[in-house]
Amino acid sequence: MKAILIPLIAVLIGLALGLIVNHPWNGVLGQYLAVASLAGMDTVCGGIRSGQEGKFRTDIFITGFISNVLIATLLSWIGDKIFIDLYLAVALLLGWRIFTNLSLIRRSLVTEWHDKQEKVRSAKALAKSSNSPLPGSISAAQDAQNTF
Amino acid sequence: MKQLATRYNPHDYWLLPVSILAAVLGFMLASAWVTQESRPSRLGLLNPEQLGRVSSGPIDLQNQSQQLTQEVSKLRAEKTQLENSIAHQNSSTSTLNQNLQEAQLFAGLTPVKGPGVVVTLSDSKKAPTAFINDSIIHDGDVLRVVNELWNAGAEAIDVNGNRVVGRTSIRCVGSTIMINYREIASPVEVRAIGDSKTLIGAMNLPGGVLAALRSNDPDMVQIDPVQDMVIEAYTGSTSHHFMQLAESGKS
Repeated sequence: MKAILIPLIAVLIGLALGLIVNHPWNGVLGQYLAVASLAGMDTVCGGIRSGQEGKFRTDIFITGFISNVLIATLLSWIGDKIFIDLYLAVALLLGWRIFTNLSLIRRSLVTEWHDKQEKVRSAKALAKSSNSPLPGSISAAQDAQNTF
Repeated sequence: MKQLATRYNPHDYWLLPVSILAAVLGFMLASAWVTQESRPSRLGLLNPEQLGRVSSGPIDLQNQSQQLTQEVSKLRAEKTQLENSIAHQNSSTSTLNQNLQEAQLFAGLTPVKGPGVVVTLSDSKKAPTAFINDSIIHDGDVLRVVNELWNAGAEAIDVNGNRVVGRTSIRCVGSTIMINYREIASPVEVRAIGDSKTLIGAMNLPGGVLAALRSNDPDMVQIDPVQDMVIEAYTGSTSHHFMQLAESGKS
């Protein structure tokens, strides 16, 4: 659970910082910032997912973030120049990937939670079965012999 | 928090880089966030290609234009107030101010009220005859009504909320009528302040401007006298680029 909470809090902190700082960004850049943020969202979701799967690699994540942001901005800019709504393609694809990543995250979280429940249940069952009339006086070795 | 710290799993090493970049993402999002107030100024900063993409077409521009005209009315009213307040300094300024206010009144830059008449022109609701053009009202009809009202002594005329001033043009654009560069559609309400009886008489002249419309369908025209009505000020531009002040009598 903390896998999503901590990055989410980080996003909120970043948002708050961004809203406090009075940025005189040029309006042109602001347009592309929107697509860039989308690319960033996709990378972060992908990072969380690969972290959950244990396949996270810092170098790939960081370079991925930077390159995705740059490529998204570049494609949108080229699209503006040649009058093709390329930003649509970028947004579509990134949206799809965000969806996929989030559902994979959800999947792994639910399995994790489920497995934990299983573990807790089986641990309880084990504790119950080892509650014999003679509490704690039977050693493991004796127990093994007895059950034989 | 202690629980989180003690349960720190070395497998969670990915949390730090992801959180840092998540914060960067939050910052970028906040910069890209367009609030209602910042929208107009941000739209103004875009270049034409982006602007075409962003503005949701006519609705956006309509909202903007509405806001701007409201601002214009407000500013003009404030200007009149200021003029009146500083006019009381001495008799010459108050005379000047009086001339100014009368000129503004004549020019249609102030809201006015008084008795008058309301002429409502609407498209015919009956089934169209052979000439569909006869069943709808045209710019010409509105133009003739306005002309006749001026002729009959109207002192202020307003068409669907648009004040008719010296520069007002009424023309046909496709299927709509444009006045003061604003689109209007049927039913068209022409309101005029003046002597109700004279104005109504002018409207009802046999063979007059409304005769043709009435012969087609009497319901296309409706005339109502009004005891007291308010006509708003002209909210368009008063700037001029070609004309300059000249002395009279010189060609």
